[in-house]
Amino acid sequence: MRELKYAEAIRAALEDEMAIDDSVVVMGEEVGRLGGVFTTTQGLIDRFGDHRVLDSPICEAGLVGFAIGAAVEGMRPVVEIMFSDFVLLALDQIVNLGAKVRYMSGGQFSVPLTIRMPGGAGTNHGPQHSQSLETIFANVPGLVVAMPSNPSDAYWMLRHAIRSDDLVIFLESKNLYFRESGDVDERSGPDGYGARVVREGHDLTVVSAGRMVGRCREAADELAAENISCEVVDLRYLWPLDTTTIEASLRRTGKLAVVHEAVEFCGWGGEVAAWVSEHCFERLDGPMVRIGAERVPIPFGHHLEDEIVPTTGRIVAELRKLAAY
Amino acid sequence: MSHIESPPDTSTDPFSGVPIGVAEQDEAHEFYRAMSIVRSVELEIEKMHRLGRMSGSFHSSIGQEAAAVGVCAALRPTDLVTSTHRGHGHALAKGVPIEGIFAELLGRASGVSGGRGGSMHLHHRRSGFLGENAIVAGGVPWAAGAAWARRRRGTDDIAVAFMGDGGFAQGVTHETLLLARFWKSPCLVVCENNGLAHSMPSERLFGPPGTIARMVEATGVLSRYVDGRDVMAVARVARELVAEVRRGVPAFLECSVFRVRPHSLSDPDYRYRPRGAGQDWLARNDPIANLRARLESLPANRVARIDREVAEEVAQALERAEAAARPPASASKWFVYSSPELQNHA
Ligand SMILES: Cc1ncc(C[n+]2csc(CCOP(=O)(O)OP(=O)(O)O)c2C)c(N)n1
Ligand SMILES: [Mg+2]
Repeated sequence: MRELKYAEAIRAALEDEMAIDDSVVVMGEEVGRLGGVFTTTQGLIDRFGDHRVLDSPICEAGLVGFAIGAAVEGMRPVVEIMFSDFVLLALDQIVNLGAKVRYMSGGQFSVPLTIRMPGGAGTNHGPQHSQSLETIFANVPGLVVAMPSNPSDAYWMLRHAIRSDDLVIFLESKNLYFRESGDVDERSGPDGYGARVVREGHDLTVVSAGRMVGRCREAADELAAENISCEVVDLRYLWPLDTTTIEASLRRTGKLAVVHEAVEFCGWGGEVAAWVSEHCFERLDGPMVRIGAERVPIPFGHHLEDEIVPTTGRIVAELRKLAAY
Repeated sequence: MSHIESPPDTSTDPFSGVPIGVAEQDEAHEFYRAMSIVRSVELEIEKMHRLGRMSGSFHSSIGQEAAAVGVCAALRPTDLVTSTHRGHGHALAKGVPIEGIFAELLGRASGVSGGRGGSMHLHHRRSGFLGENAIVAGGVPWAAGAAWARRRRGTDDIAVAFMGDGGFAQGVTHETLLLARFWKSPCLVVCENNGLAHSMPSERLFGPPGTIARMVEATGVLSRYVDGRDVMAVARVARELVAEVRRGVPAFLECSVFRVRPHSLSDPDYRYRPRGAGQDWLARNDPIANLRARLESLPANRVARIDREVAEEVAQALERAEAAARPPASASKWFVYSSPELQNHA
């Protein structure tokens, strides 16, 4: 058991998988000598050499296509995309090849590839470095979409992703890298694809993922003082979506809110709400509430950003209304 | 000074080719057989579409057979190939079974991709045919990464990425050539310059044939140009390049060929080139007819027998493919994920 920051947990997961499996290689811009712009590959090149930690030129599409080729031929590449915004340059390779070459080939190939990328706002990086693009990937058959909210999940979900024979889009939160610390038990093991109830409650269910899980917990703490009891579900994966855990929670609370950093319009919160409406309508004691980013780019200044991305204050206000319904 | 010579203009220069030497006889016959198979398969597919027994899009490789066969002649069975929307010839030249290709185009369970890929998604691992990719130039980095992985895992296999002149406009082609050189991927990128990217003439976009090879050469990547009408010449140049690639460096080859048919079945090509342009070219430049003529000047030629055998082999493969069963409806959801715990989630 070690206490690690979120970024350290990512680095530890890479190191520990590389140590036990020679086919694991890390590829990306600045992952070598520099150690990653967010330190997540620091020192790996010293331990494993530049044949396993490869500094890439700045060519996301070529890089991801190359990694897909390496993956179908038996390597387990872990690609780092410096900011998740840049993955858009590689979407063709991800969506048209990596996500479906197994299907198109009738099962002849699998793609044991992990593509890691820090996303989300909260670090003053401006509109082209702060987006939450997870909904795009959740919409693509063939992809697994992982969004760890804490160091222990960052560690074990990454190790699980690297061992998986499927293409995993691994969305890290750059805001959490150095802010979020927690215990990581390197001796436990991967936890499967399930969601987790991170706080129990009986008045309403709040479903979230990634960085917003922390804000939902803060909101739940505040509301507890008003005798409103919120159950917080950390999805961990957008796909596969653990509807069993959502449904079980809803049976206890009867009310649902979904909170995410991605744009609310056509965001994955709508998918969760639609699923609940189709499968648990009778359990509902109130309208389902989506709390996501406004359909506006992420502005640079914090006080502007707070108008767009859900803040703890906005979450508290929305949940309070829902509780009173 | 570039070592890439100025090539003949394959759209106007009639093509004769050098006589076949005695030492090359057997190989030339094999090339003739392989090219005839590609031609015959493509003609059968056209016919099947006309009869309404095949559906979906189809990009014919008629006129480009010598590039596919000549390049694949330089490869071993364990080497890898990625291809394009116009990839039947590449698949056949790499050894993908004819019946599996027909069955795939017919949506049969016995198709190489189980009937879920179709004409633009042939894949056949056992033949080293990683697959076609219907995204222009999308298959180029795939080959480079696969070749790199083979090398990392201790083999000296290489990979070839076939692409078109249109694919040379895509950034990912250039990204891959850079990456392959930087990370020492043993891959050969083969640009089949058939003069057109749909209606866009490559001459207008890049310059005369050979220009693309020169552009690549200027980046420091080993690069050659070859007249893609002559299978013997293609095989010779491909072998030289493959020998270099096997040592662990990427290389590039531009082959000038000709797109005899419209871009695809439904393409009104008379809007952008003279009616009959394809047939006119074929009458003077057909790489198969040309090799046949050269072989026929040899006393011990076997071309007539090969013609019969190819016709029979292709007809039988088509018959068996058509007789095969369609996949069950449930197969539409197979193979989305590898991990057992994700397979029932679709
Ligand atoms: C990325 C992408 N853009 C456009 C298309 C549509 N398209 C299919 S083939 C083609 C022309 C390709 O030309 P070229 O690479 O020269 O290959 P050719 O068809 O001549 O064999 C186009 C534009 C596509 N499939 N993929
Ligand atoms: Mg072309």
